[in-house]
Amino acid sequence: MSLLNVKDLKVHFPIRGGFFRSVVDQVRAVDGVSFELEPGETYGLVGESGCGKTTTGRAIIGLNKVTGGEVLFNGENLATMNAHERKKHMRDIQMIFQDPYSSLNGRKNVLNIIAEPLRNFERLSPKEELSRVQNMIERVGLNPESIYKYPHQFSGGQRQRIGIARALMLNPKLIIADEPVSALDVSVQAQVLNFMQEIQKDFGLTYLFISHDLGVIKHICDRIGIMYKGRFVEEGTAEDVYMDPQHLYTKRLISAIPEMDPAKKFEKMEMRKEINAAYRTEYDSYFDKDGRMFDLKPISPTHSVAIQQGGM
Amino acid sequence: MVKFIIRRVLIMIPQLFLLSLIIFVLAKQMPGDAVTGAFMGNPNVSDEQMEKIREEYGLNDPWYVQYGHWIGKAVKGDLGSSYTHKQPVTSLLAGRVTTTVTLGLFILIVSYIIAIPLGIIAGRWTDTWADKLIVLYNYFSFATPLFVFALLMLYFFGFVLGWFPTGNSVDVRLDAGSWEYYVSKFKHLVLPGMSGAILATFGTIQYLRNDIIDTKLKDFVKTARAKGVPEGKVYTRHILRNSLLPIAAFLGYEITGLIAGSIFLEMIFSYPGLGQLFIQSITGRDFTVTTAIVMISGAAVIVGTMLSDIILSIIDPRIRIE
Amino acid sequence: MVTIDDKKLIADEKVNNPSFAKTIWREIKHDKMALISLVLLLALLITAYSSPLFIDQEQLQRVNFLETWEAPSSEHLLGTDDGGRDVFGQLLIGTRNSFTIGLSVTLIAGLFGLTVGLISGFFGGWVDNVIMRIIDFLMVLPNLMFIIVFVVIVPNYSIFSFVLIMSAFAWFGKARLIRSKGLAERELDYINASKTLGTPNWKIMFFEMFPNLSSLVIVNMTLSLAGNIGLETGLTFLGFGLPASTPSLGTLIAFATNPDIVQNKSWVWLPAALLILVMMLCINYIGQAVKRASDARQRLA
Repeated sequence: MSLLNVKDLKVHFPIRGGFFRSVVDQVRAVDGVSFELEPGETYGLVGESGCGKTTTGRAIIGLNKVTGGEVLFNGENLATMNAHERKKHMRDIQMIFQDPYSSLNGRKNVLNIIAEPLRNFERLSPKEELSRVQNMIERVGLNPESIYKYPHQFSGGQRQRIGIARALMLNPKLIIADEPVSALDVSVQAQVLNFMQEIQKDFGLTYLFISHDLGVIKHICDRIGIMYKGRFVEEGTAEDVYMDPQHLYTKRLISAIPEMDPAKKFEKMEMRKEINAAYRTEYDSYFDKDGRMFDLKPISPTHSVAIQQGGM
Repeated sequence: MVKFIIRRVLIMIPQLFLLSLIIFVLAKQMPGDAVTGAFMGNPNVSDEQMEKIREEYGLNDPWYVQYGHWIGKAVKGDLGSSYTHKQPVTSLLAGRVTTTVTLGLFILIVSYIIAIPLGIIAGRWTDTWADKLIVLYNYFSFATPLFVFALLMLYFFGFVLGWFPTGNSVDVRLDAGSWEYYVSKFKHLVLPGMSGAILATFGTIQYLRNDIIDTKLKDFVKTARAKGVPEGKVYTRHILRNSLLPIAAFLGYEITGLIAGSIFLEMIFSYPGLGQLFIQSITGRDFTVTTAIVMISGAAVIVGTMLSDIILSIIDPRIRIE
Repeated sequence: MVTIDDKKLIADEKVNNPSFAKTIWREIKHDKMALISLVLLLALLITAYSSPLFIDQEQLQRVNFLETWEAPSSEHLLGTDDGGRDVFGQLLIGTRNSFTIGLSVTLIAGLFGLTVGLISGFFGGWVDNVIMRIIDFLMVLPNLMFIIVFVVIVPNYSIFSFVLIMSAFAWFGKARLIRSKGLAERELDYINASKTLGTPNWKIMFFEMFPNLSSLVIVNMTLSLAGNIGLETGLTFLGFGLPASTPSLGTLIAFATNPDIVQNKSWVWLPAALLILVMMLCINYIGQAVKRASDARQRLA
């Protein structure tokens, strides 16, 4: 059984207007998204900013209200649970946030930050708590002597490690990583990514990895879902998507990855021109008349694309 | 824009309604009613007769009927009558309102005359001795309680130096309408007015100084300088244009403060305005008058705040989003 | 695992992360005026609060018609009032009462405003909308008039009801301030993180959000302490404050409603008026220093 099964997830935000601030329209931030996560895998959610990928992650963990659809975690629907029932599952799903600066409370020292989840779910003596925190701090590669320091005394990479340590404290099964490295220096990004892969093995974690950075996604993910305007465009293994992109939008995205090799640079430019031309001529076969995506349609056991039924 | 204004005006209606309802409920809680007020201590009227009069005037009706009655009359300008002054409240208030509004206007105008130049000087020449003095004065005007300051003013300028009259709004021996009459009015206005105005400068100076300091570091001002606009013109054309406009809009927000201020000032300088009448009516248990004054003041604040909100929204469109 | 000397570590970090109280003290030390204000205020309060040790309150309240309106002398440092009561003694007791009441109002209104503001800011949405509409309305009431009306109509009027009435009209500004800062804080990820870690809402409000607003609250409370003392003495001055049996600084100043006393018996009211002025200036100056300290702390975090 899959660990997480998202079925036709919808998150809509009301637009209020007019005289009585009544709801005049909806922003369809996430508009019918379905995917599954197998235990131990890393699933990448990619798309441009505003495409709904972060909202998807936040809806799964409960930070945004789900408008429709199901979020099945171990077969139980989180979307319809009330706060009380949900709490039982909270320790199994944790989140790593994008901004290492605002995601740590500047008024609390590292010990209090990392011990927060422990205090919510377990009754430990201060001594036990301290040793658990120290072990975790060492595990994420920080000096255990620094637990009384405050967040502003650490660098961005170190802060992100503190954030990871906090998320790991309850031994979760699923971690939703919302752009965990995009706020970091490029030199630190790889360190943190490798470290995340390392702990994935050690703790047996499943990742839902949200990012706009195709390079990062390629490096870390087993399977990938590409989102655009709240819908899935294409889904498949990393290889499927990178080597054999089917949807026009995916092609555009992949072609936009900067090419380091000067020899291939010209080739890539040509490719981009071609895709741009195709975008103008073949637009209708990829988007319906409202500019909305079609539903996903499998083209191989692992690979599905949002194209018109019977099209191509 | 128009939508914002209409919505803002519409918000006023429930506010006024709620205000009148609260005041009505409070008035009901006040000891005694119009009948007790009018006939109390009159040996010719027995308790039974008073009860009969109550019945006649509808004072035994359910409260919402009474409220409907009261508000219906109030809208038509009938606020009941005062038993101590033996006249309708409306005509009693008319003269008082003029006196208090004159005092309020004097305070506002003089405080702007003081505050605007000082704010500009402090903002333009930051950290000079002039700025430091202005900041000190501003701090003083913020910290000093009005009634203490007004008393000290009365003591020194009224009694010790004897420069100004120490009570009333005019010398009653003079004929109304003569030149001396107006001179006397002005003389009586100066001391309470100045006491209020000197302390009322706080908000304006603070706002102007901060705003100018902020604005002068903005890129559009740097661009103006870089283009070679003379420093004086940078201020008049670019900075002050932005900073001075909102001040006009703050006017309506000052009304709450002015009403509170007028109570203290009128009591200290025996200045016959609304504030003094309010205190007199409440100590004299003439609650019809009290109720009317609170209602008028509350309505003035509500309307003033609305006007300020609207003016500000015209000047600064960002506010409309809220 | 290496053994770690926790106590030493904690001590080290205390030096690196000075508490707010320490930052304030540093700010005051560097500002001569603020330091003088603090010393002056403390001296004043210590004298006022220890006055029951050397002043017999009952004797102070006793009317003595043989000694009415006496000018200052060695026996009565600041003379006597209409009942022959010692003005100096009343001044000390009055300072104590006025400060205590100002402080209680500040704390009660502060606590209530803080709670409402945190709830409004933390939950946002319709909760915030309802609370803000109510506060918008309360803000447009002419509050001084309403306080006076309440003082008149409340049955069994006592000091306690006076404090409650004042507090009831002192919290909206604070609630609004906290709410606007809270709305900004709730968008930050540390609040989201706490939610995903299973921390209950009330804990997030008071133990995560509040510490980030605490310096703001302290600055605001210091400044409103001065304002509340001013308001209490003002109301007592008008005759709608403390009952006559509990002298306030306003009680002494209230004598100045009579022109003869203003002019010829200034020893009764003038010292109290000057004392209020000095107290306000001191508290506000300290408040400014606290504000600078809070700004400095904001920069650090």
